[in-house]
Amino acid sequence: MKTDTLIELLARDAGAAPRAPAARRLWPAALIGLLVSACAAIAVFGAIPAALYATPAPWTKLAYAGTLALAAGWLSARLSRPAAPLAGAPRAGAAVVLAMAALGAASLAAEPAGSRVAALLGHSWWSCPVSVLALSLPALAAALWAVRGLAPTRPRAAGFAAGLLAGSVGACGYALSCPEVSPAFVAVWYTLGIALTGALGAALGPRVLRW
Amino acid sequence: MQASATLPLSSAHAFVGTIREPLAGRDPEGRRGQASGIARTACREMPADAHPDDFESSLKPLWLRAQAGDDAAYRRCLTLLAARLRAYLRRRLSAFPDEVEDLVQETLLAMHLQRGTYDPALPVSAWAVAIARHKLVDHWRRRGRREGLHDAIDDVDEQLLAVDADDGGARRDLETLLQDLPPAQQQAIVLTKLEGLSVAEAAQRTGASASAIKVQVHRGLKRLAALVRREDPR
Repeated sequence: MKTDTLIELLARDAGAAPRAPAARRLWPAALIGLLVSACAAIAVFGAIPAALYATPAPWTKLAYAGTLALAAGWLSARLSRPAAPLAGAPRAGAAVVLAMAALGAASLAAEPAGSRVAALLGHSWWSCPVSVLALSLPALAAALWAVRGLAPTRPRAAGFAAGLLAGSVGACGYALSCPEVSPAFVAVWYTLGIALTGALGAALGPRVLRW
Repeated sequence: MQASATLPLSSAHAFVGTIREPLAGRDPEGRRGQASGIARTACREMPADAHPDDFESSLKPLWLRAQAGDDAAYRRCLTLLAARLRAYLRRRLSAFPDEVEDLVQETLLAMHLQRGTYDPALPVSAWAVAIARHKLVDHWRRRGRREGLHDAIDDVDEQLLAVDADDGGARRDLETLLQDLPPAQQQAIVLTKLEGLSVAEAAQRTGASASAIKVQVHRGLKRLAALVRREDPR
């Protein structure tokens, strides 16, 4: 086929370009991932007692993971457009993580010196990052699928962003069954779980995000 | 093809700087960050006629019309871009001239499928070059080739300054590949795109709804792009 024929073929009845394709793929992927990870968290780990919702603990986790998911989604959308500058997306993500770190540090400072380590480690520090990673896997598959259907020209970075999005979504799900109360715990171990998912996404990106 | 060499150095840097690619990021002198700032400022503040890149300033309004649904403008844009992409790719595939047209067609197909990812804040040519470069790297990777990736970094024709109107002929025949599509997709493409029926006429002919025809056309083109990647001559 001659190139002119191909152009003719592509342009005929082409209509308008699709609008906001990144949002249209990323939002459903994130919401499906959230639903699956929330169900899995409650089914596997059990739900936290309803009384805990009267404390700030679960809300802190949900707010942290939720805003980080928004920043990661923004970053994924930027990385899904060829040649697009990242705008403020990386800074937004860093700001969310730093704000959580500051909150965690402040809560540690307010603890009596003897109980700081106990607050930081809680009683599930070793399982929390792994659980977040495991609960993020469905969202990771969905997010990578969403980004793959767009046009990522930096597959490793795009995979990392998709992993951060999935990790944050998985952390939202885990928050529903995590009884830890210290913001310092969230700042360290949730962040580690999300970062692990980001690293997995970055490792998968070059292989999976081909188009 | 060497038209770019006559440009003042500063504008050439600005052009290169608008491409944000991992490959393009390794500027030993650290000029890139600064240059991209210049390019972005230039795009925002300079009136179109003062911009040294006449191609971009004449392409962009046409492209925005195409994005809004003007098929004639879209056809014109693709024709203009094809000639520039051909020159861009020919420079980078100088040892494999018979692969140039295949890659031009692959890039056009990818641009069409991903036209929603164009950000109006960006130069159209920067977006097109990013896709062409991605297709080029993918092409090399699939063939296990590494050579040629380096000299692409600092070239000044990143903004598609050179024109090459000569369609050297594609080796891969998309029409043959079309026959490997599922029948419904193939039929939708042949009727609306090759035989020139309107979507409504094609719907009438096949008994499918108009929106189903559109979906089949889009899926078919996506599948065609996937087939192009899978089928590797040699």
